[in-house]
Amino acid sequence: MKKTGFGFYFFLALFIFIVMFPFIWVFLTSIKPVGEIFSSFNWFTSNPTLESYESAITSRPLFKYMLNSFIVASVTTLIALTFASFTSYAVTRLPIRFKGTILGLILASSMFPQIAIISPIFNFVSDFGLRNSYLGLVIPYITISLPLSIWILSTFFQKIPKELEESAKLDGATPFQTFRKIIFPLATPGIFTTAILTFIGAWNEYLFALTINTEDSMRTIPVGISMYQSQYAVPWGDITAATVIVTIPIVVLVLIFQRRIVSGLTSGSVKE
Amino acid sequence: MKRRFSLNEKQLGYAMVLPSLILIAVIILWPIASSFYNSLFDYRLNDPAHSQKMLSTTIDLERYADNYYYLDRSLSEVEPYSPDVQEDLTEIHGKVTAQHDNLLSDTEVSEKYDQVNEIIASYRPVTDDDLKYIKIKDEFATEYKQLLGNAQEELNEITATLDGEAAEEILSISSQLDTLDQSILESNFVGLANYWKYLQDSRMWKSLSNTLIFTIVSVGVELIIGLMVALLINRSFKGRGLIRASILVPWAIPTAVSAMMWSYLYDGQSGIVAHFFEQIGLISDSSVLLSTAGGAMFSVILADIWKTMPYMALLILAGLQTIPDSMYEAAQVDGANKWQQFWKITLPMIKGSILVALLFRTLDAFRVFDLIYVLTGGGPANGTESISIYAYKTLFSQQNFGEGSVLSVMVFIFVAIISIIFIKFIGSDLFAGRVKK
Repeated sequence: MKKTGFGFYFFLALFIFIVMFPFIWVFLTSIKPVGEIFSSFNWFTSNPTLESYESAITSRPLFKYMLNSFIVASVTTLIALTFASFTSYAVTRLPIRFKGTILGLILASSMFPQIAIISPIFNFVSDFGLRNSYLGLVIPYITISLPLSIWILSTFFQKIPKELEESAKLDGATPFQTFRKIIFPLATPGIFTTAILTFIGAWNEYLFALTINTEDSMRTIPVGISMYQSQYAVPWGDITAATVIVTIPIVVLVLIFQRRIVSGLTSGSVKE
Repeated sequence: MKRRFSLNEKQLGYAMVLPSLILIAVIILWPIASSFYNSLFDYRLNDPAHSQKMLSTTIDLERYADNYYYLDRSLSEVEPYSPDVQEDLTEIHGKVTAQHDNLLSDTEVSEKYDQVNEIIASYRPVTDDDLKYIKIKDEFATEYKQLLGNAQEELNEITATLDGEAAEEILSISSQLDTLDQSILESNFVGLANYWKYLQDSRMWKSLSNTLIFTIVSVGVELIIGLMVALLINRSFKGRGLIRASILVPWAIPTAVSAMMWSYLYDGQSGIVAHFFEQIGLISDSSVLLSTAGGAMFSVILADIWKTMPYMALLILAGLQTIPDSMYEAAQVDGANKWQQFWKITLPMIKGSILVALLFRTLDAFRVFDLIYVLTGGGPANGTESISIYAYKTLFSQQNFGEGSVLSVMVFIFVAIISIIFIKFIGSDLFAGRVKK
C-alpha cells in the first residue's frame, strides 16, 4: 500500500480546488449585487442577495427549459433502453450470426459526427412538421443514445452467468420468457446505469436542440442558457444564477449515482 | 395445456436485433448517405431556383402557371405608349405564346398544367411533387430561357427611353418575364464541384487546422494530466468518494453551460481567470483571452481540458486498478525502480484503456461544436472556427445545404479515418467483454 502523507493530501486539495473553482466562483458571483460583479474581484460580498436568481427566472423561461430537457431526455432514454436491451441481449447471449458485424456497425454508429447527419435530419423533421416539438428532438437523440446504450449494456449482459439460462430452458421457459423473467431482472443494475448515462447525454445535447427547436418555449437547457448572452450587455448576474440553478440537479444526480456512473463509463474500456 | 406460439432462440435473437438495426439504418445510415448526395448539388434552401435537387432540367409548374397567367394578361392589356413599343411587345407576346403552346403540346404536360391551374385558382399550394415538377427537354429549356432573357433585355432598353407610369409598367412586365424564367429549373447537379471549391477555400483549411490544433493539444494535455491524476489517486485514502464526485461534475454538466461559465471567467472586464492571468504576467492585458485568435484558442482548449480531463482520468484509473499488486512486488524483488516499473509494468498494462480513452476523446474533440460555438462563436475573425462550426454556419446561416454538406461529409471522412487508425491499434480488445472470441 502506498503511503498517503501530507504532500498527497495537499495535492489532492489543490486538485479539487482547481476543478471546483469555476463552480465556486460562479456561485459566489450569483449572490453578489449586480453592481459589485462589474466593479470588484472580491471573493465574498458583504451584501448577499438573490436578485440575480429572481432576474434569471423572470427574464427567460428557465424552468420551462428544464422541463423540456427533462421530458426529451426521459423519453429518449426510455426508447433507447427498450431497443438497446433487446439488441444487447441478442448479441451477447443468443446464437445469432454476424454478431461481430452488428456490434461493429453499432460502434461505428456511435462515432458518427452529428454534423454529418444534421441537414437530412432537419429536412426530415421539418417535412413531418416536428420542429419545435419534443418528438422532433427525441428522434435525432436516438441516433446518439441507441448505439451508446447498446455498447454499454452489452458488457452488463455478458457478465450474467450462462447457467441461469440453461436451467430456465430445462424448466421449459421459452427464450423470451427467459429474457423477461430471468436475465432482464438480473441486468437491472446495468440497465439503470446505462439509463443514467443516456439521460445525461440527452440532457446535454446542443447541436440538434439549437437547430430544430428554435421557439423559446421549446428550447432545452443547453441552448436556453446560451441565449442569456445578448449582443450589447452581458448579464453575468443572470448567467451565473441560471448556471447554479441548472447545475444543482446534475450535482445531485452525480452525488447519488457516482459509483454507477463510473462503472458505466469504464465498462468495456478494461478487460476483466 | 395450450401450446402457445413461441420463437426459438435464433428467431428471437434476430427479432430482437432487427428494430435497432432498422432504426440505425433509417436515422443514421440514410442521413449520412443523403448528406453525401446533397453535397453533389447546388442546393440552397433560401433560393427558389435551387431549393430542390434536380438531376435533369425541370419546370416548376406551380410557379410557371401562376406567373404565365399574369404575364399573358399584362402583355395583352398593356397601354399602347408608342407604335415602336407596341410592336416590340406584340412580338414578345407572340414568341412567348408560341413557346408556351409548344410546352403544352405534350398531352401529359397539358393535363398536369390544367390540374395545377385548378389548384392555384382555389388558392391552395401544390403539395404533390409529381404534379409540381415536370422534366423537360434541355434544348427546349435553353431556347425558352434565352427568349425570356432577351425579351427582358429588350424591355429594359425600352424602359430607359420612357419615364413615369409607362416606364414602371414596362419594368414590371420585365420582372414578370424574369420570374417566369426562374420557374424553368436547369439541373443543379454539380458533381464534385463543391468539393473542388472547398479544396481551394482558405477558410476551410483554416478551420481544419484549428480543429487539428484543438484536438491534438487538448487530447494530449488531457492524457498527460489524466494519467498523472489517475496515478495519484490510485490508492486507498480517505475521501475517495469526494474526489470521484468532484471530478464527475465537470464531465456531467452540459458543455454549453460550462462554456457560459468559462466565458464569464475569461471576460475582459469582470473575468477572474483573465484577471489572474494578467496579474501573474501570462497575458499582457485581460482582454487578450477572448479578443485575439491565439488567446481564444488557448481559452477554448483550457476549458475543454477542464471539462474532459476527469473522464480520461477515470478511464485510466479503471485500467490501473486491474494491475495486480503482485506484479509490482515481483518487480521490486528484481530491483526495478519506480521509473522502470512505470515503463515496464504500468504503461503496457494500461495501454488498452488509454487507447480506448484516446479514441473516444479524439473523436469528440474533432467533432467539437458546442464549446467553441458558445464560448467564442468561432471568432475572433474565425480564429477558433472548427470545421463543424463552419459546416453548421454554411448549412443553417447561409442555408446552403449543398456546400454545407461537403463540409459535413468531410468531418465524417476524417472521423472515419481516425477511428480506423485507432481500431487498428486497439484491435479486438474493443469488443472484449461483449462477444466471445
